[in-house]
Amino acid sequence: MDKFGKAQPVKRVEDVRFLTGQGRYSDDIAPENALYGYFLRSQVAHADITTLDTSDAAEMDGVVAIFTADDLNKAGVTGDCSGAAVTNRDGTKGAKPRRPTLAEGRVRFVGETIALIVATNLNAARDAAEMIEVDFDERPVHLGQKPGGTAIHDEAPNNQAFDWGLGDEAATNAAFDAAAHTVSLEVEDNRVIATSMEARAVWAEPVEGRLHVNISGQGVWNPKSAIAKYLNMSKDDVRVTNPDVGGGFGMKAMTYPEDLAIAFAARTLGQPVRWFAERGESMMSDNAGRDLVSLAEFAFDADHKITAYRLKTHCNLGAYNSGFAQFIQTELFSKVLTGTYDVPAGYMNVVGTYTNTTPVDAYRGAGRPEAIYVLERLIDHAARELGVDPWDLRRKNFIRPDAFPYTTVTEQPYDVGEFAKVLARVEAECDKAGFPARKAEAAKRGKLLGQGLCYYIESILGAPDETTRVVFENGGAKLFVGTQSNGQGHETVFASFLSDHTGIPMERIELVQGDSDAIPSGGGTGGSRSVTVQNTATLANVDKMIEGFTAFLAELEGASATDISFDDERFRIPGSNLTPTMLEVADLAREHGRDDLLDVSATIKLDNRSFPNGAHVAEVEIDPETGVTEVVRYTVTDDFGNLINPMLVEGQIHGGVAQGIGQAITEHVVFDEDGQLLTASFMDYGLPRADNMPMIDFTTEGTPSLYNPMGMKGCGEAGTVGALAAVSNATLDALSEVGVTRVDMPFTPLRVWEMIQNAKADAAA
Amino acid sequence: MYNFEFSKPSTVADAVAALASEDAQALGGGQTLLPTMKQRLAQPETLVSLTGIDELKGVCQGDNGAVVVGGATTHATVAADAAALYPALAALASHIGDPQVRNRGTIGGSLANNDPAACYPAAALGSGATITTNKRDIAADDYFQGMFTTALEEGEIITSVSFPVPEAANYQKFVQPASRFAMVGIFVAKYSDGVRVAVTGASEDGVYRWSEAEAALSSNFSASALSDLSVSSDGMITDLHATAAYRAHLVKVMTGRAVAAAS
Repeated sequence: MDKFGKAQPVKRVEDVRFLTGQGRYSDDIAPENALYGYFLRSQVAHADITTLDTSDAAEMDGVVAIFTADDLNKAGVTGDCSGAAVTNRDGTKGAKPRRPTLAEGRVRFVGETIALIVATNLNAARDAAEMIEVDFDERPVHLGQKPGGTAIHDEAPNNQAFDWGLGDEAATNAAFDAAAHTVSLEVEDNRVIATSMEARAVWAEPVEGRLHVNISGQGVWNPKSAIAKYLNMSKDDVRVTNPDVGGGFGMKAMTYPEDLAIAFAARTLGQPVRWFAERGESMMSDNAGRDLVSLAEFAFDADHKITAYRLKTHCNLGAYNSGFAQFIQTELFSKVLTGTYDVPAGYMNVVGTYTNTTPVDAYRGAGRPEAIYVLERLIDHAARELGVDPWDLRRKNFIRPDAFPYTTVTEQPYDVGEFAKVLARVEAECDKAGFPARKAEAAKRGKLLGQGLCYYIESILGAPDETTRVVFENGGAKLFVGTQSNGQGHETVFASFLSDHTGIPMERIELVQGDSDAIPSGGGTGGSRSVTVQNTATLANVDKMIEGFTAFLAELEGASATDISFDDERFRIPGSNLTPTMLEVADLAREHGRDDLLDVSATIKLDNRSFPNGAHVAEVEIDPETGVTEVVRYTVTDDFGNLINPMLVEGQIHGGVAQGIGQAITEHVVFDEDGQLLTASFMDYGLPRADNMPMIDFTTEGTPSLYNPMGMKGCGEAGTVGALAAVSNATLDALSEVGVTRVDMPFTPLRVWEMIQNAKADAAA
Repeated sequence: MYNFEFSKPSTVADAVAALASEDAQALGGGQTLLPTMKQRLAQPETLVSLTGIDELKGVCQGDNGAVVVGGATTHATVAADAAALYPALAALASHIGDPQVRNRGTIGGSLANNDPAACYPAAALGSGATITTNKRDIAADDYFQGMFTTALEEGEIITSVSFPVPEAANYQKFVQPASRFAMVGIFVAKYSDGVRVAVTGASEDGVYRWSEAEAALSSNFSASALSDLSVSSDGMITDLHATAAYRAHLVKVMTGRAVAAAS
């Protein structure tokens, strides 16, 4: 523990910069002479473009160029940014239709890019966009999560993108046939818009025959490959950088048409071109999250032990096949399909659907919040149906500590878990015993109080390999990392970790990230991977540094290398008064011409990732007269193994829970029947605000992971994974008193009031 | 935003003259107009700012005891300076928008725009206020003429608003969960000659008086006086945040809460 997890609540060194307006985001650092890009977007959800005439617009003052799909074609740029496809149950591949950079005679969602206007100033570009003559011949739209309707793509005649399955269907069905009890529940998981504080941004600049593209993103190597391929350039000729990034949440992990179009424009014009999305553009065109409906079923034996789990899901992919979209509700969902329960048989079937809406892809947790949401709603429902306590039903079905290592029905190798112990801790922390008194007090005020539990497990994902490079220069060290901060505090956590293990003062460590010229490869941020993979690589790197310096000192001092030790601060050499620090040895090495010791890299690959888990308990208070639903008490006990920086961990949980409460209570994406996005601004899209958030009581009950040397477990997405079902189960618990039997997020005042009215009407009927 | 001319006169007379030019538009705090212009949904040739006219600013008590608010007075100023004179009015002003909005937005701007989800129209109508312009005095009952529609003529400027101070009053705002505008807002004011109840946010006709509630409350100023009343959903706004039936329901609930808070 001391060696690898010196848990220190080191304050974030980057916050002074961020909080005093000194952050440098993409649009802050665009070249001064950059031209402004502006996209003409579709105003209709599904149509053929019958007229697209840019000639008048092109003549306007300040306009440098207007590009349409024809211009891309004429330039021989014919690539697209369609993502990968899953393999269907019948062995074929999922439908992977082309996703044009600029619309090719047809538009499929409101906000789709049609033309790129490049001008000397933004106002001129906007003026020109209004002068472009464009006519649409509208087609019928298809919405919702299930296939059907008029085909949006030739490749998917019924709008079905894929039909994917995993598990042992026959064994599962047999278990259901033999079950003493079965329960089933249909659950909707509402669509959300990511709404990063900093909207998407990109600028591109030709530099001495190469192209430098700066993106507000989650890593530089994927866009580098995509842009090089798209522009038929050598990868060596493309440099991609990520500056300070104001939130990504998975939404910024994918390559977008705007990225490719801006790169094309800069290359074509030989001048830098910049683009920064307006909020409304972001809401229309950023990949959305969730948007699925599942029918989930449990089979139980007579003793209420789960014997099988069966799931049928329909998910909405939006209008195109975004980068990783087909994998979210399939493979990623499957990682935690059966959660923390000992389930002998399971089967899941997922159908993906194309619709005339904004594409849907990864959003904080990407598949795992969705899986846990369904599962934890179902087990609460099962407890109701079976007439048993929902906490007891979970306890009875937990994978027991002596069953580890445990392989789930979806082949996930859980290493450790002490679920009952964590549950006991949260039971005390949340004062479960005091709930009846709190409920009675709320009732006196005319309010309904409900309590809900979610016991989640997470599966850390993202690239399993990572590199750390350390270069000694200018009396300090540069730390090169392949992960990418989107605001999580990487500058602090990576530098303090290196400092802990080398004694190099933190203020002498400079973090270098987000530059494909400076760092040859890396996995970026995603899947809660960053600290686990990066610090594992840093540990390997520290070993190499110590080894190299030890050999150097042995030679210098005429000592045996095996006698020299390093105690995390100084080298100790028997018989010598010399006790140099690592920086001092670096200086010595430089004096002796040993520059080879001053630039050290190490690459690691983890065989397995970790499985963070924990319990969220929400208490929700509802005003039955108005439907207003508030989360009034929130308790989290997590098992993140060993903590690296407890303060940053807690911050991740706060943010994750806020996004979970947002989806559960306030965030509600609405398209009208024509496919127009009605919630395209913060006037109608309800982001959670500070007063929607309760104080969060956060504790940890760690069982170290066996899969990385630090024994840690990733925490970036866990808060969101736990929050959805905790809040929803609490809401149903509160509303069950007035006869409500089914609740689906989001619990806006109108929706909750209508649930109550419908229950009253049903009771009266 | 499209380009426009800008003037900032220091007298009402100069402002009236500036507004006489074609496609000129008065600018109060700009909390509605500027976002609209940024989205290119409005294109005035000239903006005439009223915030440089000192005589339009401030809160005072008139000879008849009424609280008089200058047309270009910000919500923050009303919240602070009317607190002792007319607490319910000050409380309403203190909950409009956020601090940025309250320090820019003005009462004249709000009443001239007459957004159906704005708070101030409920206070003006609920208090039986008098809206004074550069030309005339207009009773609140005559002033509000439907969503975004008022008795103001082209180029007419609200110079002040005079609020008779009631014996008891309260404003209850049920916020639209995203924008936090009033989805239903109820201003109840009890005067010696009767109770006034003004409803904002709910009706397709903008702010209105709920006369049945006024009659019931005038004889018995307690929430229980409303129990036999029902609110029709006819003419109520339906949008993605609330149906007409829900808004109608909330009108009654929030009126009861306003009465309970005032009495």
